[in-house]
Amino acid sequence: MTETWRLIDMRIEDAPTQMAIDEAIAMNRLVEDNPNTIRLYRWRPSAVSIGYFQSLEKEVNLETCRELGVDVIRRITGGGAVFHDYDGEITYSLVAPETDPKMPRDILASYQVICGAIIDGLKKLGVDAEFKPINDIAAGGKKISGNAQTRRHGVVLQHGTVLVDSDIPTMFRVLRVSDAKISDKMIKAVEERVTNVRKYLGREVSFREARDALVDGFQKVFDVSLKPGKLTRGEEKTVEKLKAKYMSEEWVHQR
Amino acid sequence: MKRAEYKVPGGKLLAAEVQEKCGALSNVKLVGDFFMHPEEAIMGLEEALTGSPLGEIDERVESFFAEGDIILYGVAPGDFVKVIRLALAS
Repeated sequence: MTETWRLIDMRIEDAPTQMAIDEAIAMNRLVEDNPNTIRLYRWRPSAVSIGYFQSLEKEVNLETCRELGVDVIRRITGGGAVFHDYDGEITYSLVAPETDPKMPRDILASYQVICGAIIDGLKKLGVDAEFKPINDIAAGGKKISGNAQTRRHGVVLQHGTVLVDSDIPTMFRVLRVSDAKISDKMIKAVEERVTNVRKYLGREVSFREARDALVDGFQKVFDVSLKPGKLTRGEEKTVEKLKAKYMSEEWVHQR
Repeated sequence: MKRAEYKVPGGKLLAAEVQEKCGALSNVKLVGDFFMHPEEAIMGLEEALTGSPLGEIDERVESFFAEGDIILYGVAPGDFVKVIRLALAS
């Protein structure tokens, strides 16, 4: 019989709530013996998330964010800064025990497996996407998805962005790209290194269509059936506690 | 505060913000889009380097990573030394 995982489907929340939900699911996974969980979600208002180790001021144009009403948050995962465009981006997250037979113990190998679900979904949409180690997915040589993973509480938590119709010029107004990174890649316009599903396919792609493809991708790659569900009461309680951390200056400005 | 950035070839971006006092590091902050597991270990690394005589930076970084069960992606221990030296020289 096919294993069933929980799907928390296209919840729309603000940045602190989204990050608190991902962490709460990870914290409670083994304690409450909850099922493995896939979330697909959108951020309202749009937000920039930065990696755990990143410098807030060096990575984000805070003034532009204020002008545009874009939230700013620090993740518990490493990696780079992401623009979560409410009108054009789907974020996913996955929580499963480190000991799950479907989850490689090796972190790099597990990136490849989990990103495989996103790649499968993108292929269903007609996007010929490929895994770019360490943690990216590219289409036509341009980044279309970035991913980040942490391991704590005995589980794997990976979340990532899928650019469906993200506003790329706005992305590079809210993000600051370091000179070191630009010169290393010998690229004039950093914007040319990023694409989205609509741009790649040259047609409109609804959130519904993208969501359906991603659900199929996870089901196929992990050989599971995703069953829509809600957070448990325990998880909801943890979310409320964690939101305070994610909203605090101390957390957001820590580096 | 002195600062330098270093893009690891084929890897991630790393930056160091350092302060030097009487031939020792008095303040160190290491930032970037790399991965370190567990993430909180970065604070231990910064702590281990605070107060380090400039000649001991390599040793302290090396012994920090030798002791802990720390996994790095996109950077290697030597890159931390390199970016701190770049910042000091800036």
